[in-house]
Amino acid sequence: MSKKMFSFLSLLVAFATLLAACASPSTPTAAPAGGESAPAQPAGKVTLRVLVHQNPPMVAFMEEFNKKFQEKHPNIVVDMSVVNANDLSTVSQTRLSANDIDVLDIFGFSNAAQPYMKQVDPPNWQQLIEAGLLMDLTGQDFLKYYDQSALQDAGSYNGKVYAVNLGRVSYSGIYYNKKLFEQYNLKVPTTWPELVTACETFKAAGIPCMTAGGKDGWPIFVGAYGLIGSIYPDQAALVEGLWTGKIKWNDEKSLEMWRKMQVYARDMMEEGASGIAGDAAPGRFASGAVAMFPGGTWYAPAIEAAQPDFDWGYIPFPGSDNPEDNKYLFGKYDQGWAIAANTPHREAALLYLAEFSEPANYQAFVNAVGFIPTQPTAQLNTKIGAEVAPYLANFRVGYEQYWVAPKGAGQFANPWASYFKPFGTDDDPKALADKVQADLQAGLDAVNK
Amino acid sequence: MSYHFGRGWSKLTPYLLLLPGLLFYFLIALGPSIATAFYSFTDATGIRNAPVHWIGFDNYREFLFMGRASLDNLEALKRTLIFSAAVTIIQFALGLFVALIVNQNLKGANIFRTIYFMPVILGVVIQGLMWSLFLYPLGGPAAKLLSLLGLRSEFLGGPPAQAFAWVIFIQIWANMGITMMIFLAGLQTIPAELYEAARIDGANAWQLFANVTWPLLTPSVNTNLLLNIIGSLQAWQLFLVLVGYRNGTQVLGYLIYATGFGQTSGSVTSSFRQGYAAAASIVLFLLVLVIGMTVQYVLQRREERILG
Repeated sequence: MSKKMFSFLSLLVAFATLLAACASPSTPTAAPAGGESAPAQPAGKVTLRVLVHQNPPMVAFMEEFNKKFQEKHPNIVVDMSVVNANDLSTVSQTRLSANDIDVLDIFGFSNAAQPYMKQVDPPNWQQLIEAGLLMDLTGQDFLKYYDQSALQDAGSYNGKVYAVNLGRVSYSGIYYNKKLFEQYNLKVPTTWPELVTACETFKAAGIPCMTAGGKDGWPIFVGAYGLIGSIYPDQAALVEGLWTGKIKWNDEKSLEMWRKMQVYARDMMEEGASGIAGDAAPGRFASGAVAMFPGGTWYAPAIEAAQPDFDWGYIPFPGSDNPEDNKYLFGKYDQGWAIAANTPHREAALLYLAEFSEPANYQAFVNAVGFIPTQPTAQLNTKIGAEVAPYLANFRVGYEQYWVAPKGAGQFANPWASYFKPFGTDDDPKALADKVQADLQAGLDAVNK
Repeated sequence: MSYHFGRGWSKLTPYLLLLPGLLFYFLIALGPSIATAFYSFTDATGIRNAPVHWIGFDNYREFLFMGRASLDNLEALKRTLIFSAAVTIIQFALGLFVALIVNQNLKGANIFRTIYFMPVILGVVIQGLMWSLFLYPLGGPAAKLLSLLGLRSEFLGGPPAQAFAWVIFIQIWANMGITMMIFLAGLQTIPAELYEAARIDGANAWQLFANVTWPLLTPSVNTNLLLNIIGSLQAWQLFLVLVGYRNGTQVLGYLIYATGFGQTSGSVTSSFRQGYAAAASIVLFLLVLVIGMTVQYVLQRREERILG
């Protein structure tokens, strides 16, 4: 190698090392210790950068809350950014890394590695905590307003609180149009055959049975999570069974699920659902154009906002032939608040969370977004609250919150209805079940080598 | 030849003038590329303060050989090549054809040039939004046209092969204007006398194209081919905007983005894996390098043969 070439390469490597050194850690910044009480007022003028995900009723509420917060604290300006839910984790990561955020919206902690899982990476919330990017909120006075179990299950790690979860949501129910059910003398379905009959009746009358915001991808398969739940009510056991090989996606019980999923995707979902954006679907249902809308409880305020007089109900997805299996609601801990550990506006950020957590403000938030509250004093006095109240005793955390795919698993290793035509390419439940199990098994084999 | 920058220390002037540009290039292009190569041998997450460990070839081993996920990655690689070939061939042919038309002495030729070039100036998000609205399956313009024929389609939300074909079409629509412009610039450098002489010799339209236009367009042909190939191999933004992360539609570029920022094969929610994504980027880089260098070598030989 010539001298010039050697010098040039040395320069390149030195530069790359410099860049790598800039990005790699020296010593993780320690999160401030907890054990504090009520936050103090910030001394000077502060711009508080807040990040939330797109959920129209929540964004509307936050804008109103921010206005009032700023009026009460004229030295604080809230600069709120809104991102699509799919982009929240990416934007959180980049803005936390760039020290460009103070308060952020973070989904309830889930997908933690279990003892029976091998070679899995920690979930992104855990990575953020271990990198010292989320503030330790342990001991903050406003935590007293929240359920200890919610703080523990959805926002704690290694005995410290890093996020305040603001509510549970169900994603396994179906909204139905009461007027249409009455008009066609249909009973609100409590079993799979009744659901099939209702859909056939609506379709014969030229009314699409179900809609979903398929353009966002996930609403199609999440809409069928209740179907999985009615067949596998213990979803934690389902995930463990899949990892340990006791349950297979192509065994007889799972085949029943796939057969029903095909009916859901092919016959129940309206044609064109793949083009409807996630936040447009509630409006389409509220317009009365379709009879049902499988979706999460977070859609209720949008339905009410679109058509305040529209009469609707919400039921667990009746995926089983046995009505007793169809009484469960599956869901997750939804949005929560966290604070960047390195925020230069620590007082303002804590004040923001403290103010938000005031029972009156929290109640207004729950009323606006339809969450199942995590403050024990809050009332579930919304319409969706009344609809889910009979099933709250049967509320369970769902598959999506437990599942972590083994490395090496193929892209079909999930129980998703969207694999079926017209959203995917499959039209044979048995062949699809075999493909899904093979994709999962490949990952299990790879990590067990 | 005299040296314009004098003697002694003055000789350094051109190097000093080049230095800011060179540093800028290092900072935004070469440096991050080298850093990516470095990170591909680590378990970096992209999170500041997170520890980074040297793990050798583990990321490459996982990407290329581990379980079904590696087969999915190879499928994405294959899809990338199909996408690149389809886009390059169609965009090249269409761009040339349109350039030949708008190069004629026609009334309103400038308006047509502007119209054909217009999609290029729109951002990817605008392009994606426009086509999402046009292809809206519940009463969008395309759905209405199909319904006149008694047909219907889910368009971008339909079977993956169909969605993939739409992205190819939209990529061509979005970039054909550049190809056309480069050809147009090339066409306008061909002296009119050559056509006149060929016509006097009795050449018909095809002979004019084959023996005058095509050989003299060689530099434009080379530029367009290289730009189209490299651009389409690296494409990913339209996939993100139009179809998102869907099985059977990912190309390598989008797979890298999805992996680096928290969506991985078979997982609902996952972790940040920028080291792994960096390894995938290096695989894509090698692919672009091998194809790009080979094409450039062949094109240079061809140019030397034709133009001397």
